[in-house]
Amino acid sequence: MADFSWDIRGPLDRALVAGAYGAQGDAGVSLTEIRNFDLVQVMARRGKAGETAKAAKARFGIAAPETPRAVAAADATLIWSGPDQFLVLSKDGRHSIESLAIVFAGSASLSDQSHARALISVSGDKARAMLAKLSSIDLHPDVFGVGAAAATSMDHTSVTLWRGNDRSGQAVFNLLVFATFAESLWHTILDSAAEYGVTIGHSEEL
Amino acid sequence: MRIVCPFCGERELGEFTYLGDAKPQRPAADAGEDAVYDYVYLRDNIAGVMSEHWYHGGGCRAWLKVTRNTLTHEISAVEPAAGAGAAKVGA
Ligand SMILES: [Zn+2]
Repeated sequence: MADFSWDIRGPLDRALVAGAYGAQGDAGVSLTEIRNFDLVQVMARRGKAGETAKAAKARFGIAAPETPRAVAAADATLIWSGPDQFLVLSKDGRHSIESLAIVFAGSASLSDQSHARALISVSGDKARAMLAKLSSIDLHPDVFGVGAAAATSMDHTSVTLWRGNDRSGQAVFNLLVFATFAESLWHTILDSAAEYGVTIGHSEEL
Repeated sequence: MRIVCPFCGERELGEFTYLGDAKPQRPAADAGEDAVYDYVYLRDNIAGVMSEHWYHGGGCRAWLKVTRNTLTHEISAVEPAAGAGAAKVGA
């Protein structure tokens, strides 16, 4: 009988090689995988959108987004993922599914996505040029400002895309992708970014 | 062709899947075999304005009712499909 060993590992463990990639010189694109986050999908039950919104406001101190936006609470980011639904991104178990189950009891259905998605943060001078090869979303700063979000597809793969706060004066685009599609999308991103030069790394900072 | 999703905004066709005619209504349980046969199998082949179901699977995953001219691809209306996704519908 064959022996199987099941290792716990991140979806990009194999594909992600930290360091430089592609064209030499100043990197135009910076790719960072964010690891060890908590992610919970919240979907209002039919006719319970109002109750869900109220419960979210009480829990997070801000209104959950009702349009494609990502909003920052004190210790979580709430990202629109569809009509009457949003994702709660946090870390260190502050908003685990166990704690949110109490908050949304009777108003929303929850699904733990913590280990079901990979989170990739894209920045750099050429971030927009690179993403334009993969996405039909208009990422011009006048259209897709800080806090803008989209449920969309890249390379036929569903992604949740949103613009976080600028870092060192540069736009930051965050991408949540299904874990099993992460490696494929990662390679596509690398192919698209190679001509600009890439810096690759990972982090636990949201 | 692009579809303006009422939730996401204007998106390329590749994010959507076509389901078909949005007109047929499920017959009552006692409507008889002919009515069920008609509902399941028979479709009008409309050359002109048609009401269709589309699924925004590459986006917000909502079902939409799209009014489209099959001759010109002109889309005159898009709305959430009742009872098929958005809790907001009819609420
Ligand atoms: Zn949509």
